[in-house]
Amino acid sequence: MTTDVIRAGTEVTPHESGAPAAVLAFFDAYRVHDVERMVDLCTEGADFRYVPFEVRGRQRVLHGEGKVRTIGKVIWTALIDAFPDLTNAVTSLRADEQGNVVAEVSVGGIQARPFGIIASAGGHFELPHLFLFHVTGDGLIDDIVAYWDNVDWKRQLGCVEVD
Amino acid sequence: MSARSLAENFFGRLQAGEVGDVLGLMTPDATVSLVPLNRHGPMATDGAAYVRELARSFPDLVVRVRRLFVSADNTAVAEITIEGTQADDFLAVVNQEKHVELDQAWLLKVTPDDRISAVTAYWDQNQLYRRLGVKRLDKITITAG
Repeated sequence: MTTDVIRAGTEVTPHESGAPAAVLAFFDAYRVHDVERMVDLCTEGADFRYVPFEVRGRQRVLHGEGKVRTIGKVIWTALIDAFPDLTNAVTSLRADEQGNVVAEVSVGGIQARPFGIIASAGGHFELPHLFLFHVTGDGLIDDIVAYWDNVDWKRQLGCVEVD
Repeated sequence: MSARSLAENFFGRLQAGEVGDVLGLMTPDATVSLVPLNRHGPMATDGAAYVRELARSFPDLVVRVRRLFVSADNTAVAEITIEGTQADDFLAVVNQEKHVELDQAWLLKVTPDDRISAVTAYWDQNQLYRRLGVKRLDKITITAG
């Protein structure tokens, strides 16, 4: 793999192969809200962890951690439902030769419905994310981890509650 | 020193709160982006101030590297967990002696002569506030037990 780093803002349309190509295909599918395609780009048992995703219940905290085909698919579908014009732009992409890929991605959209504790006031957000992937030798994603800052997100959407 | 070793060294010195030693691993004009704090600037000032405040507020700080790989452009990519008990005000949050565990992701760009030239860090500040007892984002300094 020869991928160094792609810094092209919204112009990222590289002719990549291997792990970076799988990741770019994932964000292409996400951009057009094709959740089934996003899932199909992952292995059957692909792991999923959205680190900032914590929902406080009465007895325990629910984490955004599990499998792509269960937790991941549900969260992506809910996000697209709440932000019907949800989009993304890959601003940097780096990979090693063992299938590890890291992507800096700007995710944005206009809120149409409540999401978690964030009531909908029709606000717009643009939020930097860091995604880490592992891609198998067959070109399928078998691990997704993401980081972002919920304070920035909530403030943009007019929410001031921590929980 | 490989980029991997350099990154391990960096996080070890971050844990120790050794600002001078951290800066000793960097190029003189190294930059830092602490994304959740919206701090983007020179490591020698902005980065050093953050390391100092972290060390002062969490004197028992532990930095655990959970995942580390080096990309083809010699950037060390790390998932870490920082852990400690608050002992002083931190990022405007008053000290309630809360114990904190927080997952973070860091990118360390390494030059051919083994110096770090750029640092970028991501975490969820909401998780940090939750662990420190903050209830409202418009009243960061007001906490509840």
